[in-house]
Amino acid sequence: MINVIQKALYTRSIKSTNMARQESRAAYLFLIPAFLGLAFITYLPLASVFGLSLFKWNALTPPVFNGFNNYISLFTKDPYFLDSIKATVYFSVIAVVGSLVYSLAVAMLLNRRIPARGFWRAVFYVPYVLPGAAVYMGWSFLYETNFGLFNYVLSQLGIHKVLFLSDSSNVVPSLALISVWLSGNLIVIFLAGLQNVPRVYMEAAEIDGANAWHRFIHVTLPCMSPIILYNILMSLVTNMQIVVPALTLTNGGPGNSSMFMTYLMYRYAFQSNQLGYACAISFVFFVLIAIFTIILFATSKTWTFYEGGDDRK
Amino acid sequence: MERTRKILVILLCALMILGVAGCGATGTQGGAPSQSTASSQEATPASTQEATPAQSSGEKVNITYACWGTIEENKAVQDALDKFNASQDKTKVELKLIPWEGYVASLNTMAAANNLPDTANMQEPMVMDWVKQGMLADISDMYAGSDSKPLDCITYKADGKPVAYGVAAETVVMYYNKSMFDKAGVAYPPSTLDKAWTWDEFVANAKKLTLDKNGKHPDEAGFDAQNITQYGCLVENLAWQLEWPILSNGGGFYSADGSKVTIGDPAATEAIQKVADLYLKDHVAPLSIGSTDDGVQRGLIAGTVAMTTNGTWNVGTCLNTAKEQGLNYGIAVLPKMKQSATLATAGTNVVFNQSKHQKEAIEWIKWYANIDNGWPLISAGIWPPIFENYYTDETLTHKWLDNPNFPPYADYKAAAVDPMLDKNYVHSASWFYVNHAADFNNLLTSILGDVWSGKATAQDVITKNLDKFNAIFNGTAN
Repeated sequence: MINVIQKALYTRSIKSTNMARQESRAAYLFLIPAFLGLAFITYLPLASVFGLSLFKWNALTPPVFNGFNNYISLFTKDPYFLDSIKATVYFSVIAVVGSLVYSLAVAMLLNRRIPARGFWRAVFYVPYVLPGAAVYMGWSFLYETNFGLFNYVLSQLGIHKVLFLSDSSNVVPSLALISVWLSGNLIVIFLAGLQNVPRVYMEAAEIDGANAWHRFIHVTLPCMSPIILYNILMSLVTNMQIVVPALTLTNGGPGNSSMFMTYLMYRYAFQSNQLGYACAISFVFFVLIAIFTIILFATSKTWTFYEGGDDRK
Repeated sequence: MERTRKILVILLCALMILGVAGCGATGTQGGAPSQSTASSQEATPASTQEATPAQSSGEKVNITYACWGTIEENKAVQDALDKFNASQDKTKVELKLIPWEGYVASLNTMAAANNLPDTANMQEPMVMDWVKQGMLADISDMYAGSDSKPLDCITYKADGKPVAYGVAAETVVMYYNKSMFDKAGVAYPPSTLDKAWTWDEFVANAKKLTLDKNGKHPDEAGFDAQNITQYGCLVENLAWQLEWPILSNGGGFYSADGSKVTIGDPAATEAIQKVADLYLKDHVAPLSIGSTDDGVQRGLIAGTVAMTTNGTWNVGTCLNTAKEQGLNYGIAVLPKMKQSATLATAGTNVVFNQSKHQKEAIEWIKWYANIDNGWPLISAGIWPPIFENYYTDETLTHKWLDNPNFPPYADYKAAAVDPMLDKNYVHSASWFYVNHAADFNNLLTSILGDVWSGKATAQDVITKNLDKFNAIFNGTAN
C-alpha cells in the first residue's frame, strides 16, 4: 500500500520536475529577446561609454589611451563642469518641487465635480504632448527682454522689466517655470492616485472632526505616498536630463547658468570633437543621478505607506 | 500544443534577433558613441545618409555637396549644381542641406561614422582644426592659372602657407533704416571710410534715433528706459563679431601674428565694455546676450532698431526680401574707436580625404570656384567675389553690383568694395590663422553673459578667465 503511494508520489514528482524544466526552458527562451535588448541597448553602451571615457578621441583620428585624466581634468581644469553640475541640480530641485506641488494642486482641483471636467483635464494635459522645441521657442517670445509679452505687461503696470533669460540668476527659475507648466503627465497620475484614496478613511476622519487641511495631510498624502514617490522619481530623472532649452534658447548662457550637463556633453562631443571627454561627463552624470535615486529610495521607507502592507515583520 | 508553442517561441526570438541585427547594420557604424535625444535632433541627417556607391570608371559618379543656408541661398546653390550637372555627364552632384545651428555637430558625427559627404561648405571655426587632423584634401593650388588671385584676407593659412580659400569675401558693415533717419531728421551714416563716425558720434546719433513711448530721447529729462519703443543701434555681439570693436580700439583676440592671446589687454576689455554700455549706460541698444546671429532680422527688419552691424551676406539672405516688402535700408561703414577696422570671413568649400571620388570632387569644387559658375550666389548678394580684380577693375565691379539686389552702387562700393584692399582696415577673423577658435569663442560667449546684463564688468570676467583662454589657445585645455 505504502509502495503504491510512494510510487505515485515519485512519478508525480518526476512529472513535475520535467514539466518544471520545460516551463523554465520556455521562460528563458521568452526572456532572451529582453536580455538581448537590455544587453545591447543598455549595458553594452554603458560599458563602452565608461571605456571610451578612459581615452582621448576626437572622432577624426584613432583613440589614444588617457587613463583617468579626463576625470581629473573635469574636476580641476574644466571651466564649465562644476557650474554645470550646480545648474543641473538647481534646475532639477526647483522643477521637481514645483512640478509636484503644481500637479498635486491641479489634480485635487480636477478631482472635484466641476462642469466640463473632462475638458479641463485635457487642457492641463495638452502641454505635455506639445513638441518641446516649439514650446520653448514660444515661451522665449514671452520672456524676451526688450519686446516680450511679460515685460510689456510689467512695463504697462509700471514695474521694472525683468531679464528672464538674459540674467544669470533668473534663467534657471524661468526655465523651471516652463518645465512646471509642461508637467501634464504628473497631473494624470496624481488623479489616478486620488481616486484610490479610500472614502472610508476620509469619512472616518471627517467624523473625528478633521477639517479639509487635516484630511489632506493625514489621509490623502499618506495614501498617495507611493504615487508621489513614483512621480518624484520620474520627474527627477527627466528634469536632470534637461537639454532642449539650452540647445534652442540659451546655448548654456548667460554665463554658465544654464549649461546643463546633457548640453555640456553634446557640446564637447559634437562641437568640440572631444568624445572621450564627453563620455567622462556622461559617466559622472550617471553616477550623480544614481546617487539622487539611491537617496530617494533609501529615505522613502520612512514616508511611504503601502496599503497592502509589505513583507516587513 | 507544446510543439506549436515551442515553434512560436523560437520564431519570435529569431524575429527579434534579426530585427536587432538589422537595426544595427543601418545605424551609426564605426564605434560612434550612442547619441542622446538632444543630438538626435541635429544628427538625423547623419543617420539617413547612405554611403557613396563605388562605381567603375566610365559610369556616372554621384558625389554629394553639403552646405547650410536660407531658402534664397539654397536656391542659388541648387541652380549652380544644376548648371554643373547639365554641363557634363561624368559626375552628378547632389545637394545635402544641413541647418547652420547644427552644422558643426552634423559634420563631426558624419566624420566619426566615416560617412562624410564628398565635398562640403565648411563653417569657419572648423577649417583649421580639420586641416591639422588631415581630414581635407589639399586644394591650395585650385586658383593657379586663373586671371586673378583671391584676396589675402579670406585665405586660410597654416604657418603662413595657404591651405584653403574662403568662398566669398564677407565683411562686417553697418545697415540702417533710411525711413527712421528721415523721420528723426538725422543725416545718414557715412559710407566712405575716411568719413566714418567716431564711437562718440555713433552713440550721439543713436540717441537721436532712440525713442521711448512718449517720444523722448535718452538724454532728455523724463526719458523712460523701461519703455523704449525704438532703439538707435544694435551692435551684433556674437563672439567672433566682437573682434571688430576690439581691433578698432587697437587690440585683438590674439596678436597680429597669432602667436599669443591678447584678449586680456585694456584695449580689448574697454571695447567690449563700450559695446555693453550701449544698453547699460547709453540706453540706445536693446539687450542682447550674443548667442544668435540674427540681429538684422530681429532689429532692422523687425522695425525696432535704426542701425545694426552685421555681415555683408545679409544683403542677399534677408535684406533683399525685406526691401521688396517695404524696408528702405542703406549700407555704411562701421564706426571707429581709435581706427577703422572690420572683419573678413567666409566658409570654405572642401573635399574630404574620406571621399571615394576625390578626383571628381576636386573637379567639381574647382568648377564651382570659377566665378562665372558661382555667379547665382554672387548676384543674389550673398557672396561677394573673392578675386582681387573685382575690387580693382571698375568694369567688373559694375558687372557685379549693377543689380537691383544691391543697395545703390556708390554706397555699396564705398562701404564694402573700396576698403577691401586696405590691409589696415580689413582683418581676417581669428579662425583664419589660429586653432581652437571655436572653443575660444564659446568660452568668451559664456563668460560675457553677466557683462551684457551689467552684473559684471568685461575687465573682471576676462581677467579672471585669462588662464583658461591661454589653455584653449595652447591646446592644453583638457
